Amino acid sequence: MAVKKFTTMAYNNADEMVFGRAKSPVKAGLDLEIGAGYTTAEVNYAPRPEAGETKEKLVNEYQRITRDIMARMVQVGFPSVVLETEHVQQMTNNPTWGAEVAHAQKTIMEEYHEEYGIKCALRHTPGDIREDKDFLQLRGDKYNVVMESFEAVADAGADLLSIESMGGKEIFDYAVLRNDIPGMLYAIGVLGSMDMEYLWQGIAKVAQQKNVTPAGDTDCAQANTAMFIAGGLLDKNLAHTLAIIARSLAGARTLSGYEAGATGPGKDCGYENIIIKGITGMPMAFEGKTSTCAHSDVMGNLIMQCCDLWSNESVEYHAEFGGTTVQCWSESLSYDCALMNTALKSGNEKILRDLLMASDRFRDPQSYILAYDNAFKVGQAIVKDGNDIYLRAKNAATECCNLLTGAEGLEMTKFETNALNKAAAELAALTSDSEKFMSDCMEKYKAEVKVFKPENYAL
Amino acid sequence: MLIVDKEGILIRYNVKMEKSMTPEDAAAELYPKDELNRAIAEAIFEGEEDDVIDGLKAAIAAGKDPISLIDDSLMVGMKVVTELYDQGVIFLPNVMMSADAMLEGIEFCKAEAGSSPKPKGKVVVHVAEGDVHDIGKSIVAALLRANGYEVVDLGRDVPVDEVIACVKKESPMMLTGTALMTTTMFAFKEVNDRLLEAGIRMPFQCGGGAVNQDFVSTYELGVYGEEAADAPKMADAILAGKSLAELKATFHKH
Ligand code: B12
Repeated sequence: MAVKKFTTMAYNNADEMVFGRAKSPVKAGLDLEIGAGYTTAEVNYAPRPEAGETKEKLVNEYQRITRDIMARMVQVGFPSVVLETEHVQQMTNNPTWGAEVAHAQKTIMEEYHEEYGIKCALRHTPGDIREDKDFLQLRGDKYNVVMESFEAVADAGADLLSIESMGGKEIFDYAVLRNDIPGMLYAIGVLGSMDMEYLWQGIAKVAQQKNVTPAGDTDCAQANTAMFIAGGLLDKNLAHTLAIIARSLAGARTLSGYEAGATGPGKDCGYENIIIKGITGMPMAFEGKTSTCAHSDVMGNLIMQCCDLWSNESVEYHAEFGGTTVQCWSESLSYDCALMNTALKSGNEKILRDLLMASDRFRDPQSYILAYDNAFKVGQAIVKDGNDIYLRAKNAATECCNLLTGAEGLEMTKFETNALNKAAAELAALTSDSEKFMSDCMEKYKAEVKVFKPENYAL
Repeated sequence: MLIVDKEGILIRYNVKMEKSMTPEDAAAELYPKDELNRAIAEAIFEGEEDDVIDGLKAAIAAGKDPISLIDDSLMVGMKVVTELYDQGVIFLPNVMMSADAMLEGIEFCKAEAGSSPKPKGKVVVHVAEGDVHDIGKSIVAALLRANGYEVVDLGRDVPVDEVIACVKKESPMMLTGTALMTTTMFAFKEVNDRLLEAGIRMPFQCGGGAVNQDFVSTYELGVYGEEAADAPKMADAILAGKSLAELKATFHKH
């Protein structure tokens, strides 16, 4: 697969972006079209721990989950739904397990589609198992197992292929706990992008052979780690200004998948997807107020602003008063979608988008930058040097700092401001020569991070 | 585009509650009086490894004993850092950078003296078998070290056998476990059973995203750890002679 870098934005301006509509919609699964004028719920779930004991138990668990969701969707009259299965380790390590689960799920979805005409698609997300106990092992045997897993689930009925890839994480884990901005840039912007380009060419090839959709990736391993460590307003583990710099870097990184053949819908936990949508015009999944079952964030409404799929991230399968968890959450998600679809149909989508955005805009530096107008500016900074993975990531981080520095209406603590100023100064002091940055970082991190193996990136 | 003032919609409690004192002011009050020790403690606070070594060299040249310097300057500087972190005046990365600088300082002192000081106590830390989420564990290890404990870090995805073997070999004062997945945390029960089988009754502090107090309460040696800072606090409590039941009473907050 050839790699084609983005050097322009898909939209003329930020205001053109809305939920439910993408410049390049994606047809997938059973009559579903994503980003074609309506939003769809994407339901995520995790099997109960005991279910992982045997393959039979696991397949059975996913059958219950799938049937429960599909049943609730038709009971309440929702026109479409996407199911996402994030593999538990066993399913990726044994590609036949993943395949059997996909097949069992798809069979049920086909029954419902045939009987009720409900539009639906199945996403499978194999685990990124490319590591040994102590080291990443991004290339070699484990890469081959991941590819086998993709082939197997695609054969068995998965319509959308995704992964949460981990390139750069060994450096990031070190850098994020030390406020090391150049290290974060190297990890996310450079190593993450290099690994994604390698990995996604492989995934896109599988998708093409099997006639399914190479959907997209997320910087869960890095930007979400930063977001989680940053935590709530009163947590003291990481300045929220640094967490959003990591997220802006992730915009430059996650883009690499779409340059190597992915077509969207991007994966739910990529909060950077708002930047990606502006650049690529591809449909994107998001999660926020309806993923509180999985984690807390500080932008639950805002992040819904331009979604094409609306997700709950993950919920363990068990009973609640209102049904099983997957039924409760799929229903909540779908009601949100019904509201968005009503707005779209009545021409009020920009009003609803703006209400969602405005309610969280000033909640946190993270929400401020991910507000669609600011995210669009970060996107513009990326494509300005789209051909150079280092420069574009540096631009993204710098633009993020500039926007925060000039922010009106956003209150920040001294901590956040100090961390921001220090980061901005460090970014400004960086070389504009990619090769020099690469060789400096190579030397520094080979010495400081024991688990860093350059051969993972063919360096 | 619609912009609405945040008044009545949200409250930035972090801004509202922010302490007026700067970290530097707060630290200044806590440094040791002695000039030479103070310079080292300040360098620890700043997380400047080179300055720490320079300070140590100067102090040793002035006749101070390298091993005493560990307690009198390095640990004092680190105590300033952990106290201010506990009070919410500084952030975790400052603690991490200071801890790195302190460890380098200790190595330097040991090399100068040709001997090692006696640590406060030894703690074994690990991430449950099958689980690679190790950032919380790394924070726990760093905070323990920062508080003067020797840490044996078994890393992530550690088989139960390896945990038991290490406890037998190292005889630590406490063991910690981290798990972020509901599928992996059950290993803690097995660790508990195997320890009891071997006749080892040692506090086993467990934390991490998936772990909650109810789960940890189901096995005898388990004490729940909600945040990383609870690890050194619990080690201190053990040194102060607290029993397992007292530890549970203190750390089971829910
Ligand atoms: C970052 C992350 C990753 C990174 C991990 C990077 C790393 N080096 O750790 C990567 C990308 C590798 C990853 C992989 C996977 N992940 Co993950 N990941 C997360 C995420 C987003 C954040 C975790 C984190 O780092 N938090 C920040 C740290 C600092 O928090 P913490 O460890 O809890 O520690 C704090 C306290 O708990 C405490 N603490 C911790 N330990 C201890 C111990 C003691 C003694 C004390 C006192 C305190 C204490 O101290 C810390 C600060 O105070 C969570 C989301 C979530 N809701 O938690 C998912 C999450 C944990 N992951 C999940 C999953 C499913 C996976 C994968 C299976 C995905 C896949 N399909 O591949 C793989 C797992 C691979 C494996 N075998 O482990 C699920 C787990 C669901 C479940 N079954 O329970 C979660 C909950 C996401 C979700 N909602 O679905 N993940």
